[in-house]
Amino acid sequence: MQTQTDPTLDARVVAVIAQLTAVKAGDIKPRDRLREDLGMDSVSSMELISLLAEELDLDVDVEEALQVTTVDGAIELVKRRVAARAPRACAVK
Amino acid sequence: MGDHVSAIDHGDDRQVVDTLCDTVDRWAARHIDARAIDRAGRIPPQVLAALAELGLFGLPIPGSYGGGGLPLAAVCRVISTLARHDRSVATTVGLHVGLGTRPLVAFGGEALCARHLPLLAAGKRIAAFAATESEAGSDLSAIRTTATRTDAERIRIEGEKIYVTNGALASVFTVVAATPSMGGASRGHSLILVERDDRGVAIGNEEHKLGLRGSSTTPLRLDGVEVGTDRVIGLAGAGMRHLRHVLSWGRTVMAAGCVGAAETALSFAVEHVTTRRQFGRPLAQLEVVREQIATMAALTRAMSAIVAQTAAVEEDHEALAVRSTSAKVFCSEAAWEVADLAVQLHGGAGFIEETGLPLVLRDARITRIFEGANDVLCAHLGAMELTSPPARRIVGDPDADHLAARIGERRRELLDLHGIRILSRQRLLHGLGRLVVLREACDAAAAGARTDGTPEARRLAAAFIDLAGRRAAAFLEDPPPIAQTIAISDAAYARPRP
Repeated sequence: MQTQTDPTLDARVVAVIAQLTAVKAGDIKPRDRLREDLGMDSVSSMELISLLAEELDLDVDVEEALQVTTVDGAIELVKRRVAARAPRACAVK
Repeated sequence: MGDHVSAIDHGDDRQVVDTLCDTVDRWAARHIDARAIDRAGRIPPQVLAALAELGLFGLPIPGSYGGGGLPLAAVCRVISTLARHDRSVATTVGLHVGLGTRPLVAFGGEALCARHLPLLAAGKRIAAFAATESEAGSDLSAIRTTATRTDAERIRIEGEKIYVTNGALASVFTVVAATPSMGGASRGHSLILVERDDRGVAIGNEEHKLGLRGSSTTPLRLDGVEVGTDRVIGLAGAGMRHLRHVLSWGRTVMAAGCVGAAETALSFAVEHVTTRRQFGRPLAQLEVVREQIATMAALTRAMSAIVAQTAAVEEDHEALAVRSTSAKVFCSEAAWEVADLAVQLHGGAGFIEETGLPLVLRDARITRIFEGANDVLCAHLGAMELTSPPARRIVGDPDADHLAARIGERRRELLDLHGIRILSRQRLLHGLGRLVVLREACDAAAAGARTDGTPEARRLAAAFIDLAGRRAAAFLEDPPPIAQTIAISDAAYARPRP
């Protein structure tokens, strides 16, 4: 199971950003701004969070997703939601 | 610059545009032979020269560069007028004044504009726009044409574009390229001006098309084209942001062309049904024929209204983005529907090229595809409606307001049920986008009728809003289960192909 410090989460977020933009994964920096630096718009930045929520089975509020403006912000949001999901996953077991 | 357009800077704009449209209309009726252009696959040089003489290539280009300085609304009226006579001519001029020159006008630096805009405004040079690639159609983020710095002042462009409208005519191309080494923090794409005479530029052969055969469409190869960094239009790395505005403009102009085509198809149909007799009376008296003519008239008026309402927000880039996308989708589909109904009403004669009607139908088909395939645009509109719904005023038409309220409920329902994951549900986004298109068209029709104020305008708007309400019903509910759709489509994919 992925944890809050799982580096693969960072890589996964970056991979999805690369998929949605023309920027190579290796050129994407944590502090990059989704719109100004990476050319994303309001829809593609929300699509990013949606794709990650779908892939990692996360519950994310639209309002929460709207606050994400940087690569770092997206990674933090995903980690927060993965951590929030963990107890529920254990309880199911 | 022709006298007709240069007069725009003086006197009453509305009156001058009316006069200009009348002039263009009368000139086109005498000099444009749409079927001859279709057969020849090109617009005669003397027609292009006359269009330049009329000042049509400089319509929206600022007066300081020799253009007419017309607002988008006026440009749309002229393009619509041209499209009534021939779609290839309207597309050639429309592309030039839209996607072709808008990047320079909106974002170009002073030196670049001073060098190119006077010749482009005079029609001595034609502009084209090159974005599409073999692997990057609706998904422009997949563009592989790349511009890299060779030193502080030079860039080198490699790549191949396809379906470049005006390709064989153009001297100036706005190329969309990935520019990973440029723009500082911004590492997306850039818009770069390339000239036909630049070393490494190669224009391919004309494509053979279903319609718009008089409009040039070619590939464009960029084989190590080296140009100065001063050829970047606007901000390096901000190409996608610039592109959104340029496309908003281009789509509005294209929608205006659809209006002209629909007016022509309606005119063909009215002429036929009022003269052709069957069952002992003119077709025009049959109820089913009346119903189809009424639908065509209501759609055509709504198309005109949505183009006018879209052009009116030209200065508000965010509003223009939503409205132009809706206008493009609505007008391209309505033009196709009106042209198809006209063919149907003609019976067998509608299938014969000599009537001129098949050409209107063939020419109308591409507009549902180029400058953004409609289904992709609808999904995008749905996503925009969910993430940043445009502010909407009550338009005062009870049916239009009721439809808008129901679409608002549908939006909330989708968000409550799917949360952020709705952005990954293409079919639902597409359905919501379809509703947005209908809402924008209804709002425009209602506003247009109020401005017009005549009983006929109110009747046409009411008929359209009623029709739109019926069509919206299909998208206000969930589509059939996706599992069923996947099973059926998988079976189709697995079937042996001839």
